[in-house]
Amino acid sequence: MKKTILLMALVVATGQLFAQKKTTSSATVTFDATTAKDALPKATNNTVIGSLNTATGDVAFEASVKNFAFTNPKIQEHFNSDKWMNSDTYPVFSFSGKIEKLSKVNFNKDGVYEVTVNGIMKVRDISKKEKMEVTVTIIGGKIKTSSSFEIDLPDYGITGAPIDAGKVAKEPKVTVSAEF
Amino acid sequence: MENSIQKKWETKKWLHIIFGIGLLITFFFPWVNWDEIAVYGFDMPMGNFFKKSVAAFGPVNPFPQLNFTFYIFWLIPVLIVVAIFISLKNKKNNLPAFIAGTLSLALVCVFYLFTKIIISFGIGSNVFQMLQISSYITVVTALGLILTVPVTKQWFKKIGWLLLGPVLAFSALKFGEKKVRAETYKTTDNVTADYTISSTEMLREFANADSLANSKYREKIILVYGNASQVERKSDSTATIRFDDPNGSYIVFSFEKDQYKVIQNIKPGDVVSLKGSCSGSIYSEILGTTQISFKRATINK
Repeated sequence: MKKTILLMALVVATGQLFAQKKTTSSATVTFDATTAKDALPKATNNTVIGSLNTATGDVAFEASVKNFAFTNPKIQEHFNSDKWMNSDTYPVFSFSGKIEKLSKVNFNKDGVYEVTVNGIMKVRDISKKEKMEVTVTIIGGKIKTSSSFEIDLPDYGITGAPIDAGKVAKEPKVTVSAEF
Repeated sequence: MENSIQKKWETKKWLHIIFGIGLLITFFFPWVNWDEIAVYGFDMPMGNFFKKSVAAFGPVNPFPQLNFTFYIFWLIPVLIVVAIFISLKNKKNNLPAFIAGTLSLALVCVFYLFTKIIISFGIGSNVFQMLQISSYITVVTALGLILTVPVTKQWFKKIGWLLLGPVLAFSALKFGEKKVRAETYKTTDNVTADYTISSTEMLREFANADSLANSKYREKIILVYGNASQVERKSDSTATIRFDDPNGSYIVFSFEKDQYKVIQNIKPGDVVSLKGSCSGSIYSEILGTTQISFKRATINK
């Protein structure tokens, strides 16, 4: 009998933990590598997959590299080419991290919370630790997250004349927003 | 005195011929190397110049409709031969040498400027290292051919011919570059779909043979019809519409702000016909399913 109760408790606890994992398939990531010399290298992907576990603070994002939409066909071609993102070989950008001091956020109460997320960013199969400041907004049970940070392209093996010539920012601004 | 002038003319004539021969030979040698791909002077009139650029992952010809104009560079070897013949015959017709020299300088200028564009694609780093010795010899011999044309007191004319080629080449390249940079994607509404397929069939194709389906549909305009599973409108006026299959895999279309009004009345369960640029599939570790995504989507009317 005790064993049965224990097992049931475990099932309920596991179920609750999973219930805290919220996902979306329409998060937005904007990649802005514009400079004073060139306003074209900027793209948005509105089909980014994201997850947030309100119980553990685990956060993850995945974006199809090819679904970043640029206005200029040539720049999009550059972005996906094997010298740059090499999207044929590495089709996904990903991030996996954890909210620091999760207790600062009350997911059951409307409000705006500033948190820090530490995690691993993976671009072109190169993983690097990244730290970002995230704004978590709770409105009527909905959780909105947004963050802006810069990544260092050479850290992910992306170099070349356009960066040296100042046509592409060496540290583009990445903006992530998601609603869970 | 007359002998001295005569001797000077003779020297100039033979220099003119030597420059002509040099220019003729270098035309058939590699002028530049793009990532181990040698590009010859004659590659432009042969129609290989932009093919080699694409092979080196460089840009395509922005004006394919003007390909026929590249044949003009066949005049370089032809007119050099004519100029040498004229010199040997001591005739005074200088136009062939001027045109051959000018066209050669224009072509070298195109190679130089285009190699700089190639470098901006991440191929190579130093234009002067990529240019081959033949291109430098071409510059020297083309200058020599124009400057040793046997006309007296016509320095303005010679300088004019010297500058004409590079100025024309520079202007044409800059115009082309400007056109490419100003280009935007055509509205998907106005693009004919490469394939029309039901959402169920597309999801099945990706489930059965992912690689095959990706190479078939990626970067193509596809019209997909079926019952919308999810419709999400965001506060920034962008939106997404999903077609799901029972196993969890899904197709997602991303709509830009300008499409907001068009899709505002669509609800989950509605039969819709959507058109967009297919970005192919990825496997999501988060969802444990396959996502097939589309960008620049529109409602098919």
